Amino acid sequence: MEPPNLYPVKLYVYDLSKGLARRLSPIMLGKQLEGIWHTSIVVHKDEFYFGVGGISSCPPGGTLLGPPDSVVDVGSTEVTEELFQEYLSSLRESLFRRESYNVFENNCNTFTNEVVQFLTGRKIPSYITDLPSEILSTPFGQALRTFLDPRIQPPEGSPVGPPNGQ
Amino acid sequence: MAQAREEAGDSRLVSGRELSSHIIRVSVKTPQDCQEFMLAENSSVHHFKKQISKRLHCDTDRLVLIFTGKILRDQDILSQRGILDGTTVHLVVRTRLKGTLPGPGTLSGPAGHCMHRSEPSTSESAGMLARLGRLARSSPELADFLGQLAQLLMAAPDSVVQFLESPVVQGLANEKPANTSHTPKSSRLAQKPEPALKALETLHNPSRQQELLQEDKRGLEALKVVPGGDNAMRPVCSDIQQLMLFTLAPLVTSKGHSAGSELCKEVASAHIDTDTTATIPTALAPARPLAQKVRVGDVSQARCVASNQASSGCGTGVPDVNSSQDLLSQEIQQPVGTAPLTSQLRLSPSALRRALHDLQQNPALLHQLATGSPLRHHMPLLPILTNPRALQALIQIEKGLQTLSKEVPGLEPCLWGPGRSHGTREPPETRGGGQSQRVDSVQPTLAILQLLHALSNACSQSTQASLSSSLLIEGCYQQELEHLKAMGFANCDANLQALMATGGDIHAAIERLLGEPEAQVPPVDAHSGEGGKGRGTGGEGK
Repeated sequence: MEPPNLYPVKLYVYDLSKGLARRLSPIMLGKQLEGIWHTSIVVHKDEFYFGVGGISSCPPGGTLLGPPDSVVDVGSTEVTEELFQEYLSSLRESLFRRESYNVFENNCNTFTNEVVQFLTGRKIPSYITDLPSEILSTPFGQALRTFLDPRIQPPEGSPVGPPNGQ
Repeated sequence: MAQAREEAGDSRLVSGRELSSHIIRVSVKTPQDCQEFMLAENSSVHHFKKQISKRLHCDTDRLVLIFTGKILRDQDILSQRGILDGTTVHLVVRTRLKGTLPGPGTLSGPAGHCMHRSEPSTSESAGMLARLGRLARSSPELADFLGQLAQLLMAAPDSVVQFLESPVVQGLANEKPANTSHTPKSSRLAQKPEPALKALETLHNPSRQQELLQEDKRGLEALKVVPGGDNAMRPVCSDIQQLMLFTLAPLVTSKGHSAGSELCKEVASAHIDTDTTATIPTALAPARPLAQKVRVGDVSQARCVASNQASSGCGTGVPDVNSSQDLLSQEIQQPVGTAPLTSQLRLSPSALRRALHDLQQNPALLHQLATGSPLRHHMPLLPILTNPRALQALIQIEKGLQTLSKEVPGLEPCLWGPGRSHGTREPPETRGGGQSQRVDSVQPTLAILQLLHALSNACSQSTQASLSSSLLIEGCYQQELEHLKAMGFANCDANLQALMATGGDIHAAIERLLGEPEAQVPPVDAHSGEGGKGRGTGGEGK
């Protein structure tokens, strides 16, 4: 029996704020955030990510975000492309359906974390997966949630302004 | 020590040196859920899989276990692979059996034998169209569709060569640069037709074909499953399907089925921008029966079948089908509508329009036509039917006829007896003198009434008709009008009205005219106009 092929798995990390978060987060949130992280998986020469349109794929670096801000090597996998596709299609029907996208709790990084664990058994760096809780622990983040989380109805007649602590 | 105990042992060892029956708890995680299993840590993966298959009710062959990125083989021991208590193993349940997997899917060529889908068809291209339709409906999956399309193509070699040569290959070749950057596998599609062409000549072994078909399907299935690959496939496949329809349309046309090809084109164009997988079944569904039926020549049946197909089509495609259905019915209704008429007439509508125009201008001609052969009675039908104002007039006439028949029951035999066009009330020869005029005028009147009744029967679908009634009646009373004019009653309309009121009795008409106020006074006879209740002079002569 021939040795199984090993396919490298990479994590592409993007800062959605393009550096603004690092500069403005102390003011707006009261704590330092290095970035608003978006991640995707690159395996079998394709980039896979989860968004409001469901699980999608493109050539590596082919999203609108352009090239990643950093690349993390998460190991190798024996999972063949075909098997991976089957796995993704099951995910599409279960945990990562198009409508199940939630910016705080079931977002691109959740997806990436799942997939990396499946492929290599490892998890993605914690600073990425901790991001939602970091934001939500601030007043501004809570206010932001009413706009970003479709499950939460914004309270009537409450204007959202910058937090008092400048 | 490392004895593989098959059963889940119950003795938990205290010292830990003997690991033979140490029970561990392993979590098995699928995309859907996560379940825990208790088993000995030195049990084999095979044993593990058996347990899993029992709980999940599926074949062990379809289970693939992955741990830290490595696929667990059946003969591995759990502990050797590092699976300890509390670890999580990932599971994928394959949709296809592992044993038939020949390796990375390559679209190396279509299989030759058509499975249960092959059916005898008299016309090659129409049959292919039929099969395409059936195929598209029965296999909405893109992969299946394309794979079995290959089968179809194999089964119809001539059409295949024609079909594969320019349009599809070029279409795919055009798609290729757009798609290679998107999904690596979509480029394989472009390679597909060429090996297909080669495969045409070479592959005839059924088992080999079957195998190839499986490969083909798997490859396409994998292609389809690529996230976003489906999106890439859609434009490719919509183009393919569009090209197919357009290509097949001339094929169908070449066999002489223009209506079918028209429909194909219309359907294809109507569905360019819509969802392919839902559309094509419905698009080809009306195409199929229409193509077949048009071939047979049974147009009305085709409409029914197509409407049945449309109503039973996919839900998402129903609006599109309705639009195509409209196209279909428009196309068909014209031949159906004109068929019964043209079978009698053999005249083009424009010629008939001209005929009616002439008729309107020359009422005498209408006389002749009306009294002419029964065939000619129908001549004005078409332009009357197509001219909305004419139809309006016709409806009014029909209503008048009905009223007339109620009021004057004696007229009924004449009105409702189209065969007796020459008047049944009195034969014209027995009348003489003053009555002859009347009979003569009645003759054309009756004939006209016959004609009008026939017309109204022909367009009994409540089309509105408004022939120039005055023209017709003017034609009836042609002679009387001439007389009145000669007498000096210059107002033709009033003359006509008087004639109508008196039923063609010229004497009574004159009396009526004289009885009217000064507006009707003929300039020549001054004293006759002053008669007031004119009852005397002027009736007889000039």
